Order: sequence, then structure tokens, then C-alpha cells
Amino acid sequence: MITAPAPEEALLASLDSALMSTSDDATAAPAEPDERQLRALFEEQALPFMDQLYAAGMRMTRNPADASDLVQETYVKAFAAFRQFQQGTNLKAWLYRILTNTFINTYRKNQRNPYQGTIDDLEDWQLGGAESATRTSRSHRSAEAEAIDHLPDSAVKDALQKVPEDFRMAVYFADVEGFSYQEIADIMKSPVGTVMSRLHRGRRLLRELLADHATSMGMTVPAPATKKKKAASTTSGATTGGDTDR
Amino acid sequence: MSEYDCDKAKAELEEFLHGELCREDAADIRAHVEHCADCSDEHRVGQVLTEAVQRACRETAPEDLRATVLARLRDLQASH
Repeated sequence: MITAPAPEEALLASLDSALMSTSDDATAAPAEPDERQLRALFEEQALPFMDQLYAAGMRMTRNPADASDLVQETYVKAFAAFRQFQQGTNLKAWLYRILTNTFINTYRKNQRNPYQGTIDDLEDWQLGGAESATRTSRSHRSAEAEAIDHLPDSAVKDALQKVPEDFRMAVYFADVEGFSYQEIADIMKSPVGTVMSRLHRGRRLLRELLADHATSMGMTVPAPATKKKKAASTTSGATTGGDTDR
Repeated sequence: MSEYDCDKAKAELEEFLHGELCREDAADIRAHVEHCADCSDEHRVGQVLTEAVQRACRETAPEDLRATVLARLRDLQASH
């Protein structure tokens, strides 16, 4: 006789009944995976990162036993927190955040490193004068690229270990893992500007160390050219051995 | 277009290398690097450095680590 219920009302009614029925018969939320499914999902998604996490652990702890322990702890913690992980967001970055936290809380304490914490405040000259690396001549640069390209992995690893930890890890996250600056900032709990500075200084130091190494191995990284191109703008000293003092 | 001078290019090469520049800036610096031998060499050193670090940092987790982790996850679940 009279009009059918307005569409909205119909919708509300059906919503109501839907709500009623869930609260009636579903005691557990249907979306929650059970423990077994959760573990299977975790194993499937997280375990493939093991080699990478281990590699990062090696750069952090510097030895296989500690790196293995660190990776183990990381997986245990990550699994315990896996329900909080939002599917569809970046699992790799999330795992690295846990790895980094775990490292800082359990391993870094045991390491003697007088610089830690204040390293960002040090001037470049206090870090060993990496400043000059980019102020070299053309022929020097192509020889430098050549030399770096031919250095054995062991030399690169040794040099990396000499780079202060926060700088080293910024380099690792950007260059090896390809994380964005923002992702690294999240992992290291530092502002993006700090990340950029660590990355820049880390790479410069590394470059300097590798050049030293190449020279010591008798690979010819020619001395910085004496004929300056334009004005060598800043301090670097007027003459030759600008980046080879020591 | 090539209003990119060497100082600006050198200052941003690292961000360029890491893919952090917006598309326009990346195109500008790429154009500059292509035509500037000096910046091109500098960029090359940056690339080689990244590749060297990548090579040196490759690791394979020890065989037993995977088994240990799996066992610990199972234990953890059993204790719930």
C-alpha cells in the first residue's frame, strides 16, 4: 500500500542485521589468522631476507657468530610483533628497523667506541681529512675509478670497517640495500638531513681509504695534479699533496 | 636547460646516484653530466664506489642459521 522504504533505510536495516549476526555467532574476529597460518606467512615473507640481514649484521658486528645471533634475535622479535606489522607496507624496512634496534640495544653497548654518539658532531679533519677527495683532477679521477673497480672485496670490507658505524650503516643501507633516504631515516631513527650527511661523509671517507689502499698496493692512483683547473676555491693548500698528508 | 653548473651538479651528484632527485632535476643533472667530462668522471667514481660496496657486502647466511631460526619460531609458537 504505501511506499517502499527509502534506499537509505533499507541499507541501514541490512547493515543492522549484518552487525547483529556477527556479534551473535562470531566469537573470534574472522580476519585474524590463527597461529599456524601466521607463522607460515611469516616464514614465507620474512625468511627470504635472511642473507641480506646477515650481511648487514656482519657490517654491524664484524664477526659471523655475533651476526648470526643478531639475525636470530631479529627474527624472534619480528615474529613476536608480526601481528602489528601492516601487510602491504615495507616488510624489508621493518625487519631492518628491528635489526638495527636490536644491534644498538644489545651489541653496541659492548663495543668500545669513544666516538659513538658524538660522531655526527666531529669535523671532517677530526675524521681524517676526507675533505679533499672530490677536489682532484680529471686524470686522477679516472685512475681512481679504475683503481676502486679493481680492488679486492677484502680491501673494500676492511675500509668499510674503518668508517664510523653510523656512517658505515648509512652507506650500507643506501648503496647495498637501495633504501631511500626517508627509509634510512626511519630505520636509524634520525632526521633525513642527518642521514644525508652521514652518507656523504661515509662515502667520502671510504673513497679516501680506498685510494690510500690502492696506493699502498702499488696501484697507481697518481698524486693530485699540481696544475689546478680553476681556483681551488677553499683551503686545501696551494701545492701538491693535498689529500696524501700523513 | 644546462643552467646546471659544475658546483651545483657536484653538490647533487650523490642524490642523483641514489635516485633522490625529482624527475626534472634528475633530467637536468643527467644532461649536464653527459656534456661535462669533469662531472662525468666524478659521477663514474661514485658509481664504481657503490658497485664496489655492493660486491664486497654480499654474504650468504650460514647453513645452520636458517634451521636455528625456524626451530626457534616453532618453539616460540609452541610456548604460546
